[in-house]
Amino acid sequence: MILLCILSIPLLFTLAPLFVKKLRALGRLNAIGHLAVLVTVFYFALNINLPVKFFGFFYVDALSVFFLFVISVVTFAASLFSIDYISKDISGGFISEKKAKFYYALFNFFSFSMLLVPMVANLGMVWVGIELTTLASAFLVGFYNNKNSIEAAWKYIIICSVGIIFALLGTIILYYAVSCVATTKTLNWHEIAPLAKSLDANIVKIAFLFILVGYGTKAGIAPMHTWLPDAHSQAISPVSAMLSGVLLKTAIYAILRFSIITNACVGVNFTSNLFILFGIISLVIACGFILVQKRIKRFLAYSSIEHIGVIIIGLGFGGLGAYGALLHIFNHAVTKSFMFFGGACVVKKYKKDNLNVIKGVVASMPFCGVMLVMGMFAISGMPPFSIFFSELFILISGFSQGRYLVCGLFLALLAVIFGAIVYHLSRILFGKKPEELKAGTEALSTKLSFLFLLIFMCLVGIKVPVFLNKIILAALEILKGINHGL
Amino acid sequence: MYNYIFLISILLITYYMVIVKRLPALVGGFRLQSLFLFLTTVSFAFELKEAALYIVAILIFVLKVILIPNFLAGITKKIQVNENLGLLLNPQLSILVALILTYLSYLFTFNVMPFTDKMQSVTFALTLCVILIGLFIMIFRLKAITQIIGLLVMENGLFLLAVTMCRGMPFLVEISIFLDVFISVIILGIFVYRINTLFTHIDVNKLTNLRG
Repeated sequence: MILLCILSIPLLFTLAPLFVKKLRALGRLNAIGHLAVLVTVFYFALNINLPVKFFGFFYVDALSVFFLFVISVVTFAASLFSIDYISKDISGGFISEKKAKFYYALFNFFSFSMLLVPMVANLGMVWVGIELTTLASAFLVGFYNNKNSIEAAWKYIIICSVGIIFALLGTIILYYAVSCVATTKTLNWHEIAPLAKSLDANIVKIAFLFILVGYGTKAGIAPMHTWLPDAHSQAISPVSAMLSGVLLKTAIYAILRFSIITNACVGVNFTSNLFILFGIISLVIACGFILVQKRIKRFLAYSSIEHIGVIIIGLGFGGLGAYGALLHIFNHAVTKSFMFFGGACVVKKYKKDNLNVIKGVVASMPFCGVMLVMGMFAISGMPPFSIFFSELFILISGFSQGRYLVCGLFLALLAVIFGAIVYHLSRILFGKKPEELKAGTEALSTKLSFLFLLIFMCLVGIKVPVFLNKIILAALEILKGINHGL
Repeated sequence: MYNYIFLISILLITYYMVIVKRLPALVGGFRLQSLFLFLTTVSFAFELKEAALYIVAILIFVLKVILIPNFLAGITKKIQVNENLGLLLNPQLSILVALILTYLSYLFTFNVMPFTDKMQSVTFALTLCVILIGLFIMIFRLKAITQIIGLLVMENGLFLLAVTMCRGMPFLVEISIFLDVFISVIILGIFVYRINTLFTHIDVNKLTNLRG
């Protein structure tokens, strides 16, 4: 019942713009709705015995709850941030009031589709959910309806659709393998998992390759990442945060579900080697492009590719590395949304996004500037912020397995990226502010969205909260437990 | 027996789609391909006596044979662009590539996929080939609408695979996928309109503002 609540709130709020006339009220209502989703997920995780099944359609276990939690944290922050951002867009004459209402409807439908993905039991429905996220966010990417954003939206929807067709091909091949051995035909993953040992190993391997390439496109794993910098930089900023923070992770979720089955069938080495290979490629490509970026949101988008690389390398290591990877999924979601909010404020204030031109952010926007200074160190992996620790876990696990080459590359690339991030951002943060710009501060709702995310960034860096630790450990059991055949 | 005639026809229609030079012909090719997909599904449904497959067949007929091609033909007419496809490869080379893709998918199926049944291998190779040719159409034809059609050809290949190998996906999944495909075609159509109004053309190779 509570599960349906989580889904129905955003679905109902999709219709809210029809009934609420005032935009500010609509924005606040939207934020309250997403707070309600967050609280419900939290309550659900604490009080309900997992896994929960019903209608034979939904299946929620710890892994799903973890992703639900990540999604609801980021969507709540984005809904808070939207309030002021959208009203500034209207007063700036970029969009009309009608379009702003359209934004809130799509925002809710987008978050609905993302919340749907971890909940459904059926691997085919997971595919449908992920395709739905693409469709829901396509208009949000092309929201400003200018040449750049339409081009980005077109590339986004075409490349992701092709990618996801390969994922469906993989799903069908897996379904074929299942239908060869099972008495009843099923695509419910918790029914496939116990059968995994009896599946034909070669077919499962081929299916997983298609799945990894397909969902990997959506997850922004290099070299299938080409849509990502365009879409993330052109989307309306609160949505950029959601795209980077959680949309990529829903695709990772799908890959994880398939990897559980694949691991049970052909052993851990197959998936783990693939993960590490693609992770390193992602890091290399992200590293090269981060160095030469000129635009702030594009620069943040490439940093997302880097972090996706870190995550899948961690998943490839397994054990403590997988713990680090799951923690990193949360940390990256929080920190990257934080950075996109900061970047959005800067672009709004200066009315340009070129890293070479913007100067003196700290002087002209005291609150946001200070936040960005912290975010700069957080995203590049400095202690005491949370990303440092999840990367540390992944490294410890790699070194303890004796993978010196991979870990060495990982460290070297992260060091270069650290340098690039600090170099780029300190250029815009410090220095003299332009004369004509008045120093000013942000609206309360915007500040709250920053502080909300900052709490998680610092808290997880000091000590992983008991609640989060509990879900991650339970999720690891699911990733691992089936490694030994349920 | 009918099945194999239908399957071969689908392959031949796919080749035809590779060599056509004008948009309406490409849309017509897609309609014909979907028609044969419909016939294959009906014949499988008849053979296996599965009610769900009949419903899937009806959906294929309504969506892929009537609605989507009409919608695409409507767009082509309305935006009145140059109807030439803008071939990156000429028809002769394209058909050569299509044949090579067919051979590759044949090699892949017979060397990598561990099927025991020979007929199954042939159907798998054939559907894989349709999917690859769909991808080829997406990459080597320059109009935005041709990319939509390439995507749809790939999807047709997938449906064919699901029907011939697995006797269709679970019913709910199949219906949702249909809905998704339909919505995505409509959204892509809207974007084609927007590209046309903003850029005054729909040549995707000229969409190069965003780089690096």
